[in-house]
Amino acid sequence: MIRWKWSNKRFLVLTGAFSLLLVAPLLNFYYDINFIQGWYQSIGIGDFWIVSPLEGLESLLVTRDPFGPLLTALIFPVLLALVLGRVFCSWICPITFLSELSERLKQLLSKRTTTPDRWVLFRQILWFALGLELFLSLVLGAPIFVFLSPPGLVGRELMSFVFFRTLPLEGLIIIFVLILNLLSKRFYCRYLCPLGAFLALLGARRRVRVKNIMQNCKGCRTCDHSCPMGLSPSVGEGMTVYCWNCGTCIDNCSYGQLEFNLKKVEPYSSMPIQK
Amino acid sequence: MAEKGRSRRTALKLLAVVTGFFCFPTVSQAKTLATSPLRDNLLRPPGAVMEHHYPGKCIRCGRCVEVCPYHCVELLDIRHGLSAGTPIIDIEKSPCFLCMKCVHVCPTGALLPIEQHETRMGLAVIDHHTCVSWKPDSLLMCKTCYNVCPFRDTAIRMEEFRPHVDERYCTGCGICTNACLINRDQGGKAINVKPIYATIKLPEAPQ
Repeated sequence: MIRWKWSNKRFLVLTGAFSLLLVAPLLNFYYDINFIQGWYQSIGIGDFWIVSPLEGLESLLVTRDPFGPLLTALIFPVLLALVLGRVFCSWICPITFLSELSERLKQLLSKRTTTPDRWVLFRQILWFALGLELFLSLVLGAPIFVFLSPPGLVGRELMSFVFFRTLPLEGLIIIFVLILNLLSKRFYCRYLCPLGAFLALLGARRRVRVKNIMQNCKGCRTCDHSCPMGLSPSVGEGMTVYCWNCGTCIDNCSYGQLEFNLKKVEPYSSMPIQK
Repeated sequence: MAEKGRSRRTALKLLAVVTGFFCFPTVSQAKTLATSPLRDNLLRPPGAVMEHHYPGKCIRCGRCVEVCPYHCVELLDIRHGLSAGTPIIDIEKSPCFLCMKCVHVCPTGALLPIEQHETRMGLAVIDHHTCVSWKPDSLLMCKTCYNVCPFRDTAIRMEEFRPHVDERYCTGCGICTNACLINRDQGGKAINVKPIYATIKLPEAPQ
């Protein structure tokens, strides 16, 4: 039996999520099948509506006018983030799909498997990005992330292309975000994405975390070098808020020492540190 | 190595300048960033909230665009500043046929579910100088707008062989504007839809 790696499963989900962005406008435009509308800012699958938490929060904060369907549509993504953490980013987000696709293409073309991170900043910048974004929207009186969010822009570009045969100018942001990947892996996701920060904040007390079993760990740090977010799962950073549960480190561990932990665990600081 | 680093730095600088040029409008355009993009014949979809609430309410998910069977709802781009990504109907290109599909998919209440006859996207205004039925020296009688109006005999009535718009019933759907035979070469459409919320001013507090 072929054992499916987490990264392959994840890439399959990412591909499906991305093709949904392309298939939904095509169905709407050519066949008038309106079963699925929208993209990852708000997607409606039949009567099941989902609104991205940060965009919904911005709209609520700016207008201070709660709207029933908006609140109901926020329940599912917020619950997902509370239980599983920042999985939208690693398993669904089209920006992650594009980054991963470019990485896979690069691996096919060149022999170097890993590229070092050139710019490593403080991870806490993520929270400042979220704070600044909310502050700016409140000052301007209009939400900003709703029209500048790269994950949403991918959907808007695809939809605009299918419907109007044009690509809106904002699409340059996507290219810019992908170019930032040259500085270090997922530079935008690591340090700048307000949506990612908000989902990470929601998932701070999530149940599913990457745990180092520590029975047979050789301390080779292969997992640390593989992490797209620049974390060190070998010393338990898979338990921190910054981990997005992508499972890359689990695939890369030759000794099977990392796994998704579903049970409640004690804070890592009380665990023995590998000699 | 130093050469390479310098060229990369130049490339990055160039990139920053180019993105800056595209992302930020020039100073003269800055004023329009926060103003409403609405004007004559350029309207919000049905059921839209007051225009000064609209950019805050709308989360730019584009679902109204995708459900519109006539493809008349379009999206604005970043050149419209804070209104970037909000839906708009250019009725000269394609009017709203009041199918009321978009109002039922809006997740944030920027478009509120309403009935066809309650829709107030704008108000059709007849230009008496260009309309052939209204021109004083004209012997022609055209009643295209009357014929196409979905609320014929209530929203547009024919009185003394001339079309009259009743502001109590006009939904502002723009079918009349789209059908009007007068075109741009003849001085613009003879019936235009004025957006209701674009020019209205909030009542000032009593002194």
